[in-house]
Amino acid sequence: MRNCDDIRGRLTLYLDNELQGDERGMVEAHLSECESCAAVFKRELNFLKTIRESGPLHVASPALRNRVKQILKVSPREEQRRGFRFQWLVATAAGLLVLLLPVLVWRIVRQKEPAPVSQVCGFAMMAVETHLRHIRGQLPLETESARPQDISAWFANKVNFSVKLPNYQESSGQEKLYTLEGARLVYYENQYAAYVAYRMADRPISLVITSDSTAKPSGGEEIASKGLKFHYNAIDGLKVITWSDRGLTYALVSDLEERGQQSCIVCHAGTKDQDFIEPLKPH
Amino acid sequence: MDGLFNNLGFGLEALEHLDALFGYAMALTRDLTEAEDLVQETYLRATTASHRPDPDSNLKGWLFVIMRNAWLNQVRHKNNGPRFVELETGEQAVDETHENPHVVYLRKLEREQVREAIESLPAAYREIVVLRDIEGFTYQEIATVLDCPAGTVMSRLGRARGQLRKLLSGWQTRARIRAV
Repeated sequence: MRNCDDIRGRLTLYLDNELQGDERGMVEAHLSECESCAAVFKRELNFLKTIRESGPLHVASPALRNRVKQILKVSPREEQRRGFRFQWLVATAAGLLVLLLPVLVWRIVRQKEPAPVSQVCGFAMMAVETHLRHIRGQLPLETESARPQDISAWFANKVNFSVKLPNYQESSGQEKLYTLEGARLVYYENQYAAYVAYRMADRPISLVITSDSTAKPSGGEEIASKGLKFHYNAIDGLKVITWSDRGLTYALVSDLEERGQQSCIVCHAGTKDQDFIEPLKPH
Repeated sequence: MDGLFNNLGFGLEALEHLDALFGYAMALTRDLTEAEDLVQETYLRATTASHRPDPDSNLKGWLFVIMRNAWLNQVRHKNNGPRFVELETGEQAVDETHENPHVVYLRKLEREQVREAIESLPAAYREIVVLRDIEGFTYQEIATVLDCPAGTVMSRLGRARGQLRKLLSGWQTRARIRAV
């Protein structure tokens, strides 16, 4: 283990996401064991958070926006078209997250013999570890917002894939069942993966995303639905589902055990997802 | 047809960075009119550039580089070096009411203090804090915008934050005294 001076010299780099690989892991390992450095880290984190939350410092006036639109030859119609395109992306991505919640819950109720850990893919293991470390306060969020578009924008240029988070509840008009809390970068296989934190009925839910060239879901019990293959595992008392879709691999981690069935019913009441969950129901 | 599509796509993508560019322009010029002119100049240059970045590449970073070069050009033409307008003290946010709950008020106050502190930093420090902490650029992206080594970014950012910390700590102490 490195000494405290060494670690403190790297804290700024760590907080700015400029450390990679072993160095990043080394700092995190030290912070989880050294209370003194963890306190310094927390102080620095709070300071940066205060600065970062002060933005934006200035917003362009409508007059300037109009002048720039003329320069760029952007018409209101084109802007509207783009809005529709964004909504489509949101709706598509939205389905993924919310569809997974009921699937997860149903599996929790049903699953009696969890798959041996040895069969679980490394990405699922990392997702569970990340979830636990976040709960323990060892992986604070780097950005906090309940707006999916804010989080999606935050990931732009930080990860080498596009993150489009869903806003399913808003688009479906359903009662708000879960809340988006924020996000951060995590390290997996020598590159950054996206970590997104949600909360449902005061219980944390973690979503980790990477490219499908970096991680392939495997192990656990497989369930296919609508062309997607989901892998279900129970690790350290948590439930994790991994799957790949459109070039990305996802891992959803949760401990939604008792409220699972309830969530399943609530999430999908009145939605068009019945055909999706039907193949997943026990027969 | 492809060209037309690319032009339309480029315009919409570029428009998304308007607020960020305006914020950076304010950090550079500290003057509303100059900042607006600089933003327009940046977009004009971007639309007439012979090589635009690919759709998947860092359009925002590219626009920031254009803006900084445009600003440096303006400064050279004026031949009087960068102008640093002093912080306008006493400028308050508009909607400061006393009906708000105490906590909300304190948070708002804190945000305003941070903004004022950033605004009062020397130009080079203000610029790097905006690029890193407000706009979220990586060290390497900042190095590209500023045309300097990443090591310089690191050290300058450290000094800028150090000064910001001092400013904020002084203000917070005074605020606590006032509160008592």
